[in-house]
Amino acid sequence: MAEIVVKNLSIDIPVFDVGGASIRRLFFRKAVGGQVVTEGAHIVINALKDVSFSARDGDRIGLIGSNGSGKTTLLRVLADIYPPSAGTVEVNGRVSPMFDNSLGMNEDATGWENVRMCGMLWGLTPAQIENSREDIAEFTELGDYLNMPVRIYSQGMQLRLAFAIVTVREPEILLLDESIGVGDANFFDKAYARLQGHISRSRILMVASHSDLMIRQLCNKALWLHSGTLMEFGEVDHVLDAYAKGAHAAA
Amino acid sequence: MLDGTARGGPVQTLNGSPARPQSSRGSSTFGRDFYEGTLAWPLWSSLAWNDIKQRYRRSVLGPFWITLSMGVLVIVLGYIYSRIFHTDIETYLPFLSLGFILWGFISTTITESCEAFRHGARIIKQIKVPYSIHILRVLWRNFIVLLHTIVIFIPVSLVFALKPNLAILLALPGLVLLCVNLAWLELVLAILSTRFRDVPLIVGTMVQVTLFATPIMWPIETLGDHRFIADVNPVYHLIDLVRAPLLGATPEALSWIVAASMAVVGWLVALALFNRVSRAIVFWL
Repeated sequence: MAEIVVKNLSIDIPVFDVGGASIRRLFFRKAVGGQVVTEGAHIVINALKDVSFSARDGDRIGLIGSNGSGKTTLLRVLADIYPPSAGTVEVNGRVSPMFDNSLGMNEDATGWENVRMCGMLWGLTPAQIENSREDIAEFTELGDYLNMPVRIYSQGMQLRLAFAIVTVREPEILLLDESIGVGDANFFDKAYARLQGHISRSRILMVASHSDLMIRQLCNKALWLHSGTLMEFGEVDHVLDAYAKGAHAAA
Repeated sequence: MLDGTARGGPVQTLNGSPARPQSSRGSSTFGRDFYEGTLAWPLWSSLAWNDIKQRYRRSVLGPFWITLSMGVLVIVLGYIYSRIFHTDIETYLPFLSLGFILWGFISTTITESCEAFRHGARIIKQIKVPYSIHILRVLWRNFIVLLHTIVIFIPVSLVFALKPNLAILLALPGLVLLCVNLAWLELVLAILSTRFRDVPLIVGTMVQVTLFATPIMWPIETLGDHRFIADVNPVYHLIDLVRAPLLGATPEALSWIVAASMAVVGWLVALALFNRVSRAIVFWL
């Protein structure tokens, strides 16, 4: 069983390179992003403030909110990349983060070399990588291009390859950051189908996206973050409506 | 000051109850990190290989450029400096070539360790992998380079008819001790450089000075009464533990003692440092 329990989670991110009050004032003027405070010698961004929610098997949660509202930060916490500054996070189940499709890609290496390298980064064993070759070749439709350096691939071809590698894993908890959206229509359909397959195999999905359409299609719940604070969490249409009204009120 | 997480201390629950130990999220003790990191050897060894292949891709000689350039360097320097120091090229060139080969390994490992975490930032910020894989990647990459340069010693010893004796076996424990020391130093430098961006610059300067301050290009005998200059230099001991056996001599006891105690103390420091800041490293990148 997969489960996520987050209680009173806060994340403070220190910023070292900015010194001086002028930059701080600059930050305060901005409407987007987490709250910026000084703590001790350096500036700290409260990227998440007192966030609590839980998710269990079958939950497909869309993360919504403006730029810098903390969506990616939350995903990173769940992926065990950011340790909580306060509060507790419990995650049961194998987490598959998909934040950057081109992670580990080497431009000068061939498609197959990249499959090997990225696969290992994503935690696949050499045997698993070997077994997934056919699947990858079929999905990407890249044929002989897989023996050529990735540098000569078009963007769409690179995306196909990256997407195929990342989605080889069967995740229990799948975390997606808004990374899909390039490629031709045919690819998008295919990727979407693969993603659907992937998602139905995963027990919990969390996806950050600015696309209402995508969230309505993929998710049954939604979580709205604003400046690091959880505004609404619940049934997808309800939260999306509240978000639309909220954004409208703010505008 | 090192605690980069603003509230990086113990985790507090809101009702003020004392924090229960926070599973292991975001933090790891070095023991666990290193254990998991070592198990992931297919990952870091191929990352390291990939780094090397990347550098020499599409060049005709490939990684053998490493061998060639080191070969040219020691032949030219060996000839000129043996004239400057009025020594036999027969003894000087083998000494110089080994010193330079080992120095290359040590200095590049140290310099590159400053970038170990920053180089791996994209990985660190997206997938939970042990921090030690970045350390091992740098070490392994440079070890591969060392394997490419150390082969120069074979023609050198043939040309100058060096007669190896049993002492040569001591080179192996010497090399192990050298790597053990480099590994803790790497970890410390990687952490400090990630937090304080002046550290790589300081290290760069120190590395440059060390080359000239260490008996690499000049034999230790030239120091005469000032031998202490070499004796207080840990790099001299680390190099000599490998160099002396290959030249058919037994390293001094002092070298073993210095290298072994450095390994113990260094690892304790590195461990304490890592355990203290492992939660914060990702925020520094």
